[in-house]
Amino acid sequence: MSARVNVPEKVVENVLEVEGLEVTFTTDTGDVPAVCDVALHVRPGETLALVGESGSGKSTVALAAMGLLPGNARASGRVTVDGTEVVGAGEAELARLRGRTASMVFQEPATALDPLTRVGAQIAEVIRNHRTVPRAEAAREAVELLRRVGIPEPERRASAFPFQLSGGQRQRVVIAMAIANSPGLLIADEPTTALDVTVQAEILDLLRGLAADSGTGVLLVTHNMGVVADFADRVAVMLRGEVVETGPVEEVLLRPGHEYTRRLLAAVPRLVVDEPADDSAAPAEGAAPVVQLRDVSVHFGRGRRTVRALQEVSLAVRPGETVGLVGESGSGKSTAARVALGLVPSAAGTVSLFGADLGRTRGRARRALLSGVGVVLQDPVASLDARMSVGECVAEPLRMHRRDMSGPERRARVAEVLELVRLPKELAGRGPRELSGGQRQRVSLARALALQPRLLVADEPTSALDVSVQQTVLEVIAELQGELGFACLFVSHDLAVVQQFAQRVVVMRAGRVEEEGPTMTTLLRPESDYTRRLIASVPVPDPVAQRRRRALSRTEATA
Amino acid sequence: METLVYLARRLAQALVVILIVTVVVFCLLHALPGGPARGILGPQATAQQIAAFNHEQGLDRPLPVQYVYYLGTLLHGDLGTSYTLNEAVSRLIEQRLPKTLVLTVLSALVGLLLAIPLGMWQAVRRNKPADYVITTLSFVAYSTPVYFLGLVLVLVFTQTLRWFPSQAPQGDTVAQVFADPAALVLPVVTGAASMVAVFSRYMRAATLENLSEDYVRTARAGGARQGAILFRHVFRNSLTPVIAMLGYYVPVLFGGALVVEQLFNYPGMGLLFWSAAQSSDYPVLLGCVLVISVATVVGTLLADVVQRIVDPRVKAGRT
Amino acid sequence: MTAVLQTAPVEAVAGYRLSLRRFTRNKLAVAGLSVVVLFLLFCFVGPLLYSTDQTHTDLTQVNLGPGAAHWLGTDAVGHDELGRLMYGGRVSLLVGLAAGLLATVIGTLWGAAAGYAGGWVDAVMMRVVDAGIAIPALFILLVVSAITTPDTLGLIVVLGLVSWLVPSRLVRAETLTLKSRDYVLTLRATGGTHGRAITRHILPNSVSTIVVAATFQIADAILLVAYVSYLGLGVQPPKTDWGGMLSAGLTAAYSGRWWLIVPPGLAIILVVCAFNAIGDGLRDAFDVRGRG
Repeated sequence: MSARVNVPEKVVENVLEVEGLEVTFTTDTGDVPAVCDVALHVRPGETLALVGESGSGKSTVALAAMGLLPGNARASGRVTVDGTEVVGAGEAELARLRGRTASMVFQEPATALDPLTRVGAQIAEVIRNHRTVPRAEAAREAVELLRRVGIPEPERRASAFPFQLSGGQRQRVVIAMAIANSPGLLIADEPTTALDVTVQAEILDLLRGLAADSGTGVLLVTHNMGVVADFADRVAVMLRGEVVETGPVEEVLLRPGHEYTRRLLAAVPRLVVDEPADDSAAPAEGAAPVVQLRDVSVHFGRGRRTVRALQEVSLAVRPGETVGLVGESGSGKSTAARVALGLVPSAAGTVSLFGADLGRTRGRARRALLSGVGVVLQDPVASLDARMSVGECVAEPLRMHRRDMSGPERRARVAEVLELVRLPKELAGRGPRELSGGQRQRVSLARALALQPRLLVADEPTSALDVSVQQTVLEVIAELQGELGFACLFVSHDLAVVQQFAQRVVVMRAGRVEEEGPTMTTLLRPESDYTRRLIASVPVPDPVAQRRRRALSRTEATA
Repeated sequence: METLVYLARRLAQALVVILIVTVVVFCLLHALPGGPARGILGPQATAQQIAAFNHEQGLDRPLPVQYVYYLGTLLHGDLGTSYTLNEAVSRLIEQRLPKTLVLTVLSALVGLLLAIPLGMWQAVRRNKPADYVITTLSFVAYSTPVYFLGLVLVLVFTQTLRWFPSQAPQGDTVAQVFADPAALVLPVVTGAASMVAVFSRYMRAATLENLSEDYVRTARAGGARQGAILFRHVFRNSLTPVIAMLGYYVPVLFGGALVVEQLFNYPGMGLLFWSAAQSSDYPVLLGCVLVISVATVVGTLLADVVQRIVDPRVKAGRT
Repeated sequence: MTAVLQTAPVEAVAGYRLSLRRFTRNKLAVAGLSVVVLFLLFCFVGPLLYSTDQTHTDLTQVNLGPGAAHWLGTDAVGHDELGRLMYGGRVSLLVGLAAGLLATVIGTLWGAAAGYAGGWVDAVMMRVVDAGIAIPALFILLVVSAITTPDTLGLIVVLGLVSWLVPSRLVRAETLTLKSRDYVLTLRATGGTHGRAITRHILPNSVSTIVVAATFQIADAILLVAYVSYLGLGVQPPKTDWGGMLSAGLTAAYSGRWWLIVPPGLAIILVVCAFNAIGDGLRDAFDVRGRG
């Protein structure tokens, strides 16, 4: 690929150099320090991964490097991008830098583009921001960039509006905008977190290719250790605003030095990919299923815009077993869970819960049936009504179905379940706003267990949590299942998590069941191509293994 | 094709709304003291006349049947006859409505042309003194009864400064209205004031919301300057919610027109309505209500269509 | 249990305290609140300190300008203007508050029902609202007044019936959002009744929207009363309100007797402005979506 447009006379060693960076935010509740004394550098052509959980300050560092910190942030220290000092620079100077010397790709492709401007025009705008190029020429370049980032039929797609493209395609457009002027530094802030795992693999491949071609330095901000292993040359680990460890990726990921890094790596659910299949004890075959979907179809909308969310889906969960429901976005896994809960009516097929036909049961009988189910949903903020105390939230199922219980009895039960989920019972008097995400999910779990359910339906219960917190919540669920013996329908997009906790797995795709069976067998020796591709797309946090897998998949693709 | 389907659906919705309005008007007609007979024949009618009228008009039939007849007369364009002016209501409205539309549309245009840039400017200067001043002025303008504002304007500009006349143009036709532009100034300004206040707030809010959207950050990251972002991206995105609001503001405009016409003696529908209220001329009153409501529904429909043109997402059914 | 890294609590300060703090920091809103309190005192406590005769005419004191005996002058039949302002204010404020609250209550019930029911029930209920909005309030009020002249209570009811449409749309939107919140879904999925969802979760969480809507409705109602009285259809003499005072003083204003229209006009503007500022401040403090 051609050399960078702006070849400096003096060879600058690092495209990004950060020294003594401190960032403080002024909020309603006072000053919050986000970044303390951070130092790092990125060399041309190398990829540095900046890793950390939420609150670590990694995104703040990325934004500081572009001078894009929000108005209530104060930065001090030195941040040099390709020789230009960013901290304290004027807006005009920063505008010259952004999109030309350094570019940024953000996390959420759904909202990253102007909804009312065609994508070709948005790319052309970035070109014309920095080079005097006639409109027609810029439009042509935009089409070329679209081709380069892998968008099929770029001439036609250039006149599309963002809402006409998928999430992955939108992210490609953002990347096209980022590389339009061949920057020396590309900053990617969680570029694939909002995307499906197969799309993630493609986007990472794209970024890797582009960086290799043009010798661009990349600062990759992520919380996903697998992505780090797949992409980065060097890693810097951040905790609460400070860099606690830096080094080559193999060193840090395989022989971590700092305690936090070790804990972080230990908490990451690892997808087992090359161990021989070892099926855990098969569940009671003869027992009647706790919940069963038979040829269920679900439609949303009418006429031309009907969405067939589920098409003839059948699945069953037997007593005491955990069934993992996996798939990408649009696969219908959440819809299937909601059908099982009676929240979504089915257009065809039957849903039976504890042996009774859910579609035909109404009124008191239905409520009694549903009292045997516990539910934990994804969003920790929205799962609890912030106007009620923790105790009231947990006690709600008791109030609904056990009117015979007295106040003190209810309080005793609340204390009991809180302890089951490893939360102090004093938490009952606090409000949900005072709890962290992990604590809220555990309160949600406590509420789900209050009536000793026979079935727990968990829809992405840990996807919104940090990796270390995730581990605790999952452990609690697994432990309690062993103790209390409830069946569990576990919906997730994270194959590694499902592999760890489910005995059987159902892979869904575009509203249909693609494949199902015992977890280890299905995931290690998949029968369908899609499942194989799905597993191959999930990066493991081992750079050596990851390199091997990539090489393997490449030979498979060309074979 | 899809546009046609959409239009058909919106038209059907609009028809349902209009139908409900006719029901409301019908109920009002029957709520009149002495029944619709008195309403139509006038307060001087004798009991005999009323009875004859009732039988002739089928007013002794069950209500739903009467309603159907009522709809029938409406579809024939018959809105009754004014008994103070002795003319068909539909003809009176035909004469007066265009003038009211001129006043309303002018006020709306002036209002929007001022409000939109003002709102955007306020958003950019958020929480600076200028923003506070304009916000306060907007509140005041919004909280002032239209007639009070009109009164103050007349006192200042007519009586004291003698710049503009206190009466609006008195022509019969629209052309005559435009023949005296100076006389239009005060009425239009009065009508537009409240609109400027309300829509500058909407525009400010919409602009602020858009300024904190992700795509602005992407544009900045690409090296775009604040001005370019504002005019090339934020402006168009902020217009969409404002246009949506316009549809719902049409009845307020007509209500304001009523007061403005009365204050400035402008011979439009508002003044007609006002005089009819003074003399309890029910046919005129109810006919006006019907026509104004239909005008409002049409206005909302137009606003929807404009929104569809401006925002391609609405066309596809997602926002 | 091993120490687990926990993310920072979502909100260190409880919801209400944060809202209160945000409200008190909004200068316009606080100013508005003070204005309302002052006017309430002025209108309801004022006459106790400055008593005037508002029922009997005194033709010896007609059309006097502001002076020592009558601080704001007198009107065409000899009533003291300042006293009239206080008594008029009682009616304006009372009717405005009551009508605004009535409109909010009706609107809330209608909007919540429509939003929660969804489907064709929602569609029909909202078409009715659309029809109501299509008819300008003033027009309906004039028609009603041509039929009967309502007393104060009747006036409140009519104003309430004409204004409930806007809050119904706001509450419906809020209900739609809350209906699909995770905690409501969880409740339904585990056998909770619709009633419980509405009374325990949806309504309490709609309170901020409802309060903001109510404030704006009160502002609108006071303004509407002023219009209605100006057009001669509000309270009848000797009782009056600010709008009526404006109507009565109209011709006088052209001949220079400004004291008959400026005080009531200013009073209306200040109070309506104040309620709007409070509503705006509440909306920002609660972080509620915009009006209309």
